[in-house]
Order: sequence, then C-alpha cells, then structure tokens
Amino acid sequence: MLKRFVVDSSVLIFYDRKRKLEDFLLAKKKENYKIIIPKAIAQEVIDEPKEFAREIKQTAPESAKRILESVKRFNTAIEQGLIQVENVNYREYSKVIDNVRKHLSRLDAIPEYAVKKGDPELIALVIQLYGEAKEKVFVATLDKGLLKALKPFGGLVDYEVIERT
Amino acid sequence: MSEKTVSILRAIGNPNKAKIIAHLAKHRGETAEGIGKHLGYPLPTVYKYLRELEAASAVESEAKGNTRVYFAGDFKLEVSPEKLMEAFEEQTMMDLYKGRFGAEGVEKFNNVAAKAKAGKMTFRQAAATLGITYYEFISLLEEVGALDA
Repeated sequence: MLKRFVVDSSVLIFYDRKRKLEDFLLAKKKENYKIIIPKAIAQEVIDEPKEFAREIKQTAPESAKRILESVKRFNTAIEQGLIQVENVNYREYSKVIDNVRKHLSRLDAIPEYAVKKGDPELIALVIQLYGEAKEKVFVATLDKGLLKALKPFGGLVDYEVIERT
Repeated sequence: MSEKTVSILRAIGNPNKAKIIAHLAKHRGETAEGIGKHLGYPLPTVYKYLRELEAASAVESEAKGNTRVYFAGDFKLEVSPEKLMEAFEEQTMMDLYKGRFGAEGVEKFNNVAAKAKAGKMTFRQAAATLGITYYEFISLLEEVGALDA
C-alpha cells in the first residue's frame, strides 16, 4: 500500500536548488511514498517562477534560464508521476479552509483575505486525504509556521511529520 | 556550459573546498572527521563544505556502517576566460533581490526571514510581506543557508 505523502513546496524548491529533486523523489518512491501536492503548490513551483523568469529575462538572462530549467524539472516530475497534483475539494472542505485562514490570519496578524492560498490548501489536502482513506498521511515542510497551523487540526486527522527527509 | 561545470567551478573557487577535493583524491573513502583533522578545519565547517561540494557533484559519499565516507567526484574541467565569465555572470537570487529592493530591502528580508524561521509566520506570509514570490523567498533562504539543518 502506498503511503500518501504531502510535500510542501519549501522542500521541493530546496531539493531542486541543491540539484537533488529527482534523487529525493525517486528515493521516496522506493520507500513506497506517493508524493501529493495541492494545485496551489504546483502553481508555486511552476507558474510563479515562470512568470518571475519572464520578468527578469532582460536584466538577468542567465538567472531566468536557470529558473526555467527548474520549472522544467518540476513539470517533468509531474508528467512522470513522481509528483501527483491533487485538487482540493473546496465544497467539502470549505469549513476547514476557512478555519485555517482564520488561524493563519491570527498567527500572522493579517486580514483573512491576505492569507496565501498554499497554506490552507496544503492543510485541507492533508485532511481530505485522511478523510478519503482513514489512513495516516505523511507531511514534509521546512516551514515551522505551517506546522504550527496544522497542529490544531490534529484531532481531525492522523498525520506524521517527516523531518528533514 | 553545463550546470554541473558551473557548480564545480563555484565550489573550487574556494581554496579550502578545493583542498578537500585534493585530499579526497589521495585519501579515498575518508570520513569528515579525518578530513577536518588532516586539513585543520573545524568539523562543522567540514560538513558545510562537504554538503556544498556534494550538491555541486564535486564530491560523492556513501554510508559505511554508522559513518559516512567521502570520495572526490569524477569530473574534468576545461577552464578559459570565456568559460569563467559564463560561469560567474549569473546573478544570485540575493543579487536580484538587492537590485530591486536595495540595502533596506535586505534588512527587511533578514528580519522577516528570522521571524519565519522561528515559526512566527509562515513562509508564504513572509514572501507576501516582502512582496516577492514564494519561489524567490525559498531560494533566498536556501542561498543564505537558512534552510540547512
């Protein structure tokens, strides 16, 4: 049985910059993990850097090229099935997403509308995956603030944080 | 020029790191402790260099029982002024960030990054506070070594 592993983009970008993304993904596949990310996170590693590369292309062509190479690696990993992009069911988990937004807005002392999409989507995906199979979901992030935000939902979901994978 | 070549050039641009490669070429399968002892570097520095050299594929390692042993990577470089120019003209993410936000922006980044590292705000919120993408924020943290264990 594959172990479902929600990986934050902080981990993915970190390994990619170390030129170890493929090694990390293949190692996890070998360990029977299925790496899953929500759509908002796919946008963070593909759409946003692509746009950033376009912005800096004139002033820093080498850097733009390198960022586009990174985007390509993420696209390839998704195409090869090493990373699965999952849609969060907003209808079913809207309450969870609202709660995460509220929690993060208090944590960061910002209005709810200013909470970035990736954090609530990642937490909602963990809860959604658990709800679907009632099996432990594994999570990896380098972001302590995000883990703090996930903690209050521990009663709803059996999850395990994999430190420094 | 391939990314690997650029990474190795950057890595060996630091003579201390270059000495580690030279040492490993002679002493295959050396431990980090052995390298530190032989070259007189503090152990945390040796580990930092080894991490960077491994990331650049200039050094390889393998587990041997409870310890990890290191080997010089199998690489050959052709260096010319043009190739060096090509290797080093790329700007770092911090160069780009400084170019956009100046010294004041760097100070703000340091403050926000410290808060985010301490878990007082999420990385996404930190990126939004700085007005940059999440990709840039993580890249900057990685570049300044704030994500290393």
